[in-house]
Amino acid sequence: MGSRADGLPDAAEVIAELIIGDFGTSYTKLLDTSSSAGPILVKSTELGQEIRADIGTGHNAPLRSNRVVNELVALATGARTRIDSPEFVVLDCGSRDVKFVAFENGRFERAGWNSECGSSMGFSIELLEMHFKLDYKSICVPDEHLPVACGVLGMSAVFDAVSKGEEIGRAVAKFVKGIAVNAHRFAGCPSELYLCGGLCENPLFVKSIPARVISLGRFLLIEGLAEIAGKNKL
Amino acid sequence: MLASRGDEIVDLDATASIVNVEAEARLIPRYYCAILRTVLSNALTMKLDEIYVDVGPGKCDGARHISEILGAELSIPVIETENRDSERRGNPICTSSLPLVEKFEKIVESVKLPRGLGGTYAQSAAKCGFWGVPPRDFGLLELFPRDTHVFGWTRCMENKTPADRELELTYDPSIPTVFFAQSFCAKSSIAYYLAHCHPKGFFVDGDFDISASTRAKVEAFLELNGVKS
Repeated sequence: MGSRADGLPDAAEVIAELIIGDFGTSYTKLLDTSSSAGPILVKSTELGQEIRADIGTGHNAPLRSNRVVNELVALATGARTRIDSPEFVVLDCGSRDVKFVAFENGRFERAGWNSECGSSMGFSIELLEMHFKLDYKSICVPDEHLPVACGVLGMSAVFDAVSKGEEIGRAVAKFVKGIAVNAHRFAGCPSELYLCGGLCENPLFVKSIPARVISLGRFLLIEGLAEIAGKNKL
Repeated sequence: MLASRGDEIVDLDATASIVNVEAEARLIPRYYCAILRTVLSNALTMKLDEIYVDVGPGKCDGARHISEILGAELSIPVIETENRDSERRGNPICTSSLPLVEKFEKIVESVKLPRGLGGTYAQSAAKCGFWGVPPRDFGLLELFPRDTHVFGWTRCMENKTPADRELELTYDPSIPTVFFAQSFCAKSSIAYYLAHCHPKGFFVDGDFDISASTRAKVEAFLELNGVKS
C-alpha cells in the first residue's frame, strides 16, 4: 500500500471495511481488524466520504463513527496497554491540539486537553517545514527557545527572527523547542514522558523536550480503541 | 420580607437576558466572572424596581464591586445586605437521586423562597460528587450520573447558610469528585486545593460555556474512575 511520494496510501486504497478510526484534523489513523496489515495513515483531506468506523475518536470522529470514544479515554487506555508502571504521564501531540493523562498509583490522577491557546502546534511545525523546505532530521536542537505559547502566534516570532537576520533553520528550531518546552510544562514537567501522536516522529521536537522521552508512536489512540473494542490485534 | 409583601423576585444570577460582552465592556473587563457578568447584564437590561445585593461573607469581593457599579450606573435603589443566616436547614436535594441538572435547578429556584422548596426527595447512595457553585453552563452537569451528590457552596445554598465555611469545605473522600469553579472566580483556589487533597479529586473550571476540552476531561475522569452516567 502507498504509491505516493510521502508514503501515505491513496484514499482509493484505503479499505472500506474499517472499524477503528482516529480521525484527526490533519491525519486519520485507521485500523481494519479483519486485516493483518496494521493501522494506516491517511491525510484527512483525502479521506473518502464513505469511510466510517465502528468505533472512533478524534476531532472528526462524530462525523464518521458509529461509536465515539473520548480522546482522553482512548489515550489513557492505549497508554495502559503499553506501560507497565503504575505512575506515568503520557502526552499526545497532534496537529491541532495537545492532551495528556497522568496516572499515579495505578489510578487516573489528572488530565489536560489544550485545544484553544497552545493549539495547532503540530500543524504549524509541519507548515514551517514545508514553507522553508526544511528537514527536521538534520536540524540540531538549539540551546535557546522562542517564548511561544501557541503554534499560530509562535510562527510570527519565527518570521520576526528571520527578518532580524537569524538563520532560518535555527529560528525554526528555536520555535520547535519553544513548543516542546510548552508541551512539557503543560503535562506538568515530568522527568519521564511518554509521547505519542504525529510529533513523536519529529526528531527535533522529541529531542527538544526537556525530559526523558519514550515514544509510543502515532497509533496509540487506535490501540486504545482496539482495547476498548476488545479486539486488540496490534 | 420581599416575598411576604408579594413582590416578584428575580434571581439576577440566572440567565434571564442575553449577555452582551461588548456592550458591558464599558463597565467591566471582557475577561471576568461569567456569573457576575450575568448579574450585571440582567440588572442593566431588565425592568426592576430595586436591587438587593448580598455582599456578606457568603459572597465574593466581586459581588460588592458589581454592587458599587450598579449603584453608580442605575437610577433605582441598590441595597446592600449581608446574609449571615446560620441555621442549617438540611440538604435533601444535594443527596437525592434526582438528575444533577434537576438538583441544581431546584436549589437555584429555592434561593427565592425563604423556607426553601420543602418536600421530600428519594435519597441515593453517592457514586460521585460535584463540588462547587452552580456553573453558568448547566451542560456540564449533564455529564454526571443521577447518583451524584452535591457539595461546596451549592450545598450551602440549599442549606440556607451561604457563609457556612465548614459546610462549604466538606467533601466525601470515598467518591470520585469534580471540584468546579467558574473561571476568574476566587473560589478556584480552594477548589483546586481541595481537588489536590481529595484522594479522587479533579479540578475543572468553566467560563460562559463549557468548552469541549473541559467536557472531555470530566467525561474521562468519570469513565476512568468507573463512574457510569
